[in-house]
Amino acid sequence: MKLMDKLAKRLREDAANINVSVSDELDRRIEASLLAVSPEMAEQRPITPVKPPLFWWASTVTGIAAAVAVIAIMNWRAPEQPVADVPLNIVAAVPAIDLKAEAAVLTNPLQEELDKLESDLKKAEEKVRRDIGL
Amino acid sequence: MTDELKLIAAAKAGSAEAFCDLARLYRERLLRFLLTRCASYADAEDVLQDTLIAAFRYLHSYDARWRFSTWLYRIAIRNAAKLRGPDLLEVGELRDEENDPLLQCMADSESKNLWLNARQLLNDDVFAAMWLRYAEDMSVNDISKALDRSASWTKVNLMRGRRTLESNLSDVPEQSEAYG
Repeated sequence: MKLMDKLAKRLREDAANINVSVSDELDRRIEASLLAVSPEMAEQRPITPVKPPLFWWASTVTGIAAAVAVIAIMNWRAPEQPVADVPLNIVAAVPAIDLKAEAAVLTNPLQEELDKLESDLKKAEEKVRRDIGL
Repeated sequence: MTDELKLIAAAKAGSAEAFCDLARLYRERLLRFLLTRCASYADAEDVLQDTLIAAFRYLHSYDARWRFSTWLYRIAIRNAAKLRGPDLLEVGELRDEENDPLLQCMADSESKNLWLNARQLLNDDVFAAMWLRYAEDMSVNDISKALDRSASWTKVNLMRGRRTLESNLSDVPEQSEAYG
């Protein structure tokens, strides 16, 4: 028998010294509530029909056949064309760009603008000369 | 099969009478415990009633591997906490000394009832663990299940609860008890 220490013994005795009683009224109340309650029943799991072994074999064989077919199709595909070799001398392969022609194309509008500005300047200079009587 | 198991089986089959007989075995014990957790006698009675109704309604979920009392206490603890509301005040904060239901139910004795000290010194969960251990003689595993705590938590807090009470009581010698 487990030796009960003094604290445990006193706690037990003191708990027993708490006097409670369920009154008749509470007893009737509880009983009436319990009679009015309907317990929930455990959820019934849907019964799944047992499949005969033939179905298991048929589905297994079908699965394996499908897997084999997919593997075979993947392997029977025509090999891809090899990628053309990249020329080693890239500089030679790239067409040369006519840098001068490109520069002319780029600077032509600026040159025209400059000519216009120069002619405007000349006109303005002549006008000033006329105004001052030179 | 014990009488209790027979009653449980009959109640599971839908017999309210069987459950009433089963409830009679536990209602005083539950009410005594609930008096330590409720602000008034009426609240404790209401929680007892709710606990028994919930237990009957959801009896199908009772796992027979555990003691029936453990399951009932678990429901009772939850219902008492629900009644106290979401603020989770400690039980000691709820009381008004004059109307304290626990004080009203204590037999006159020369020394102060230790559970009154326990209620002042321990928090709710530790108090409940101590009660289930010493008043209900539950095992650590049953207490863990009832409080929804780990076995380690239960062992540690039972030890702390004991130490707190021992250090508060000059007439109780220091003595340890092994748990587990």
